[in-house]
Amino acid sequence: MGMTKIEAVIQPSKLEPVKEALLEIGVEGMTIIEVRGHGRQKGHTEIYRGREYTVDLLPKIKLELVLSDALVDRAVQTIISVTRTGRIGDGKIFLSRIDEAIRIRNEERGVSAL
Amino acid sequence: MSVVLSSGEVRERYESGLAALRREFEYSGNGVAVVSGRTALVDDVVLTCYTQLLTKEIAPPNCVSIVALGGYGRGSLLPHSDVDLLFLFPDAKHEAAYKDSLSQVYLDLWDLKIRASATARTVDECGKLDPENPEFTVSLLDSRFLIGDRELFDEVRNRVLPNLIRKSGTALMNLVCESARTRHAKYANTIYHLEPQVKEGPGGLRDYNLANWLALAKSFRASGLWPAPESLFEFPLRAELNSAFDFLVSVRCFLHYRNGRDDNQLSWEAQDAAAETGIGAPSLSILPAQWMREYFRNARTIHGACLQLANEQMRTPSSLLEKLRGIQHRAAGAKTDPAFPAILQLQNAPSSNTTLAIFQRMASEPLQLSVDAQRHLRASASQFPCASHECLWPQLSPILVGRHAGSALRAMRDSGYLHAIIPEFKLIDALVIRDYFHRYTVDEHSILTIDILHTLRNSESEWGQRFAEILDELDKPEVLYLALLLHDVGKGMEGGDHVVGSLSIGKEVLLRLNLDLQEQVTVLFLIRSHLEMSACMRRDIFDSNVIAALAAKVETPEQLKMLTLLTYADISSVNPEAMTEWKAETLWHLYALTANFLNRHVDDSIVHGALDSEARGKFNSFPADLARKMEPFLEGLPHRYLKIYSPEQIVQHFELFSKLQESGVELSLLPHRDLYELTIVSGDKPGLFATIAGALSASGMEIVKANAFSNSRATAVDCFYFKDRFRTLDLNASEHERLKEKIAQLLRGERSLDELIRSRSGFLRSARPKVQIETRVLLENESSTHSTLLEVVAQDRPGLLYQIAQSLAQLSCNIEIALIDTEGEMALDVFYLRAAGHKLSGDIQDRLRDELLKKLGAE
Repeated sequence: MGMTKIEAVIQPSKLEPVKEALLEIGVEGMTIIEVRGHGRQKGHTEIYRGREYTVDLLPKIKLELVLSDALVDRAVQTIISVTRTGRIGDGKIFLSRIDEAIRIRNEERGVSAL
Repeated sequence: MSVVLSSGEVRERYESGLAALRREFEYSGNGVAVVSGRTALVDDVVLTCYTQLLTKEIAPPNCVSIVALGGYGRGSLLPHSDVDLLFLFPDAKHEAAYKDSLSQVYLDLWDLKIRASATARTVDECGKLDPENPEFTVSLLDSRFLIGDRELFDEVRNRVLPNLIRKSGTALMNLVCESARTRHAKYANTIYHLEPQVKEGPGGLRDYNLANWLALAKSFRASGLWPAPESLFEFPLRAELNSAFDFLVSVRCFLHYRNGRDDNQLSWEAQDAAAETGIGAPSLSILPAQWMREYFRNARTIHGACLQLANEQMRTPSSLLEKLRGIQHRAAGAKTDPAFPAILQLQNAPSSNTTLAIFQRMASEPLQLSVDAQRHLRASASQFPCASHECLWPQLSPILVGRHAGSALRAMRDSGYLHAIIPEFKLIDALVIRDYFHRYTVDEHSILTIDILHTLRNSESEWGQRFAEILDELDKPEVLYLALLLHDVGKGMEGGDHVVGSLSIGKEVLLRLNLDLQEQVTVLFLIRSHLEMSACMRRDIFDSNVIAALAAKVETPEQLKMLTLLTYADISSVNPEAMTEWKAETLWHLYALTANFLNRHVDDSIVHGALDSEARGKFNSFPADLARKMEPFLEGLPHRYLKIYSPEQIVQHFELFSKLQESGVELSLLPHRDLYELTIVSGDKPGLFATIAGALSASGMEIVKANAFSNSRATAVDCFYFKDRFRTLDLNASEHERLKEKIAQLLRGERSLDELIRSRSGFLRSARPKVQIETRVLLENESSTHSTLLEVVAQDRPGLLYQIAQSLAQLSCNIEIALIDTEGEMALDVFYLRAAGHKLSGDIQDRLRDELLKKLGAE
C-alpha cells in the first residue's frame, strides 16, 4: 500500500473543525505549523494611532499529514468540505508521494508506522 | 586482552553486588546506601585490576597514583553514572612510559559495562587552571586516593591544589558559577518544572555539588586548610542540605533503575511510580501531588543555598573572569553587565509590620534572601495577622508593580507569606497539572506571567516593544498583576472549569483585600475573560464580526489593553517557545483592530429606556430607586459612558445634572494621584469643548485625557484630566474655586476667552520635543452610523486641544463625543462630529483637514 503526504494551507479559524472532522474519519495524527502567506487574497491595511499597518502576509495554518493511499481521497474531501467558504483565501491542498515512513520508537516501517 | 576478567571472579563479585544493592533499594528506597555501595564495588574492581597489573609486571609499582574524581571521588556513584578516573604521574616521562599499559584498567571497566572515563595528568599539570576546562580543577576538589603512589596524591592534595586555590580560587569559582548561570537559564531559572531534571536542573544534585565546592573554597580561602565535609555548613542548614541530598539521591537511583540508564528526568509516569512507592518520603505511598511538593521543598533548599553562595561569589570580581565575561557580553551584543543580586540577611524573625516592607524592597531592587533569612521568614509567616487583610492591598500593590515583583512573590510563596495573605494560593502551590504544552507548576506559571510583563520593556522583539508601550499606558497596572496572580487558582480545585473556580476564589480574595468596586470588577473581568483573546486568535481576526464580538466583551480600551497584556503574558509563560512571532503578531493585530473598533463605534450603542440588569447592578450599593431616578440623565449617553466611569462618578455627574436648572453650568474639581479631574455638566452649546480646553491651557494646565459625551437632552458631560504644570492648584487651595469660577464665567459668556488667552499666552509656549511626532488627520464616515469620525495624532503641546476644538467650532462642527488621550509626547484625539444634525459633508471634511494640518503641522 502506497503513502501520500497531504499539505493543506488553511485559515487559522478552520483548524479546530478540520482536526475534528479528520478524527471522525480515522485520521489521528498530523503536524500543524503556524505560517504566513498569501495567494490571490489581498492583505489588510489598518490604521492604528495614525500609522498605517499593512498585513501583506496573512496568518495561516499548514497541516501536514501522511496517510495510506486508501484514506487520502476521503481526507482531502473532508478538508475541502470543512474549509471551503467560496471566498478567496480558503487555502490550498498539495499531495505528494512518500517513499518510506519509519516509527522512531520501534523502527516499524511503511503504512503500519503511520 | 583482559587482565582481571579472565577469572570471572571480579565480574561475579561486581554483578552480584549490584544485584544486591538493587534488591536492597527496592525494599528500602534508600539511595544513599546504593551510591556508597556501588562506589565500594567499583573501588574493588579498580584495586584488583591494578594489583593484577603489578603482579603480571605490566606496570611497575609507584609509577602512578590512581585517583577517583567527581561523583566517584565523592563516594556517590549512582547505578548508571560514569566513573571518572585520574592517572596521576610524577612527570611527563612516566606518563609517556606507562600510560598505555595502565589503560588496561580503563578497558577492563568498560568490559564490565562500567562507563569509565580516564584522564592522565602530571603533578605539575594539576596546578594549572585552564579557563577552557575549569571542570577538571573542580573535580580535583572531590578527588579520592584509590591505589598506587600515595605520595603523588598527597603532593597534589596538600601542596599543588592549595597553591592553585590561593592563586586562582576566585577565578575558578567564578567560572564555575558562570557555567551554573548558563545551566540555570536553560531551565528558565526555576525549580518548578512539571517534569524536573533531578541532576542538571535548578535545585538538582549538580547545584548541591556547586554549593559544596563554593563553601569549601570559601572556607579554604579563610583558613588555608581543607575543611572537614561536615563543617562546610552550619546547623540547621547542614541538616536541611543533608536531608535534601538524601532525597534527591534516592530519586535519581529510582530513575536510573527505572530507565536502565543515566536518565534523570522526573517524568509524570515516574512521579506516579515514585509516589506510590514513597521514594525518599517519610511515609509509604502518598499522592503524586504531595510527593512532588516534597520534591520541590528539597530542591528549594539546595537551590537557595546554591544561589546565595553563587551570588556572594560572583559579587567578588576577578580579573580573569571579568575579562572573559566582557568578551562574552560584547560578543552577545549585550548593553550592560549582568547584575548579581545582593544578599539580604535577617538576624532574626521580622515583626509582622516590617515583613511586607522587606518584600516591597525585594520588588524594587535585585535582592536575594539568604537561606537564614528565608528560614526566619518561614518561621514568622504562620504568625502573620490575617485580621489586617483590609489594609493589605495598599501594601501588596507596590510589590506587584515593582520591577522585580517575580523575585519578591517567589520569596513570599517560599516563605509562606503569600499563602498567609492569599490562603487560596495554597491550592496551586507547586501543583503539577499534566498538560503537554505547559512546562511549569501552576503557581510558577502565574508568577512568571508577572515577570514576563515586567521584562517587556527590555524586549528586543518588535512585538514585545509594542506590547510594552501598551503596558506603560495603563492607569492601574497593579490590577492587571493581581488578575495574573489569581487567573489560574481555580486549577487547584477538583474537576470542572478552572475559570469558574478562579472567579469564585477571586471574588473572595478581592473582598478580603478590600479593593474598590471598580478594581474588583476589572480583576474579575480579566479572570473571566483570560482565554477570550487566545480563542479569537483561532478565528478569522480580519472578520469584523469577530472584532465586534470581542469589543462587546472587553467594553473599554483600558480593559482591552489589560486583556491583551494578560493574554501575551499567559501564553508566554506556558513554555519558552509558546509565544511565537506568529502568535505575537496575530495578538497585536487583534488588539489594534479591536482598539480601533472601540474608538470608532462609540455612538452605535447608547442608553435607551430602563437600564438593563447589568447596568443597574453597578448601583447596588446606592439607594434602590437611584438607578431609576438617573434614567432621564443617562438617556442617550453612549454605553461607553457607563463603562468608563465608576458608579460613584456617575452618581456625582447626576447630582451636578440635577442642579443644572438653577446654575446653567455645574463644575467639580477633584485632585487624583498625579492629575486633576475637572467635570463640567452643562447644556451643550457651540464652542463648549473649545472654551474649556482653552481656559485650562491658558491657566497653565496640561490636558492629558478628556472624555466628552452628551445625552438626549443635549446635556454635555465633559471630564478633563490635566497636570498642574506650574503647581498653581497644588500650592494654593483658593485657586481651585477661582479656576472653577473662571471657567463658569467663560461658559456663561461673562468673560472673553480670547482676552484670557492673550493675557496668559506665555503658558502656551512649548518645550522642545524629545520625540518628533508627525501630524496625521483621519476623517471618515463609515465607522459611525451617526457621525463623522475625526482622529488626530499629533505632537502633544500646550494648547493643542484648544487649537483643534477651535477649528471644529469655527467650521460649526458639533462634538458629539470626544475621546482625548496622550501617550508620552503623542496626542491621540478622537472626535465624533456632526454639522447641522448630519455627518460632515465632503467639503467640510476637506476644509477641516486642511485647517488642522496647517495649524498643527506649522508648530
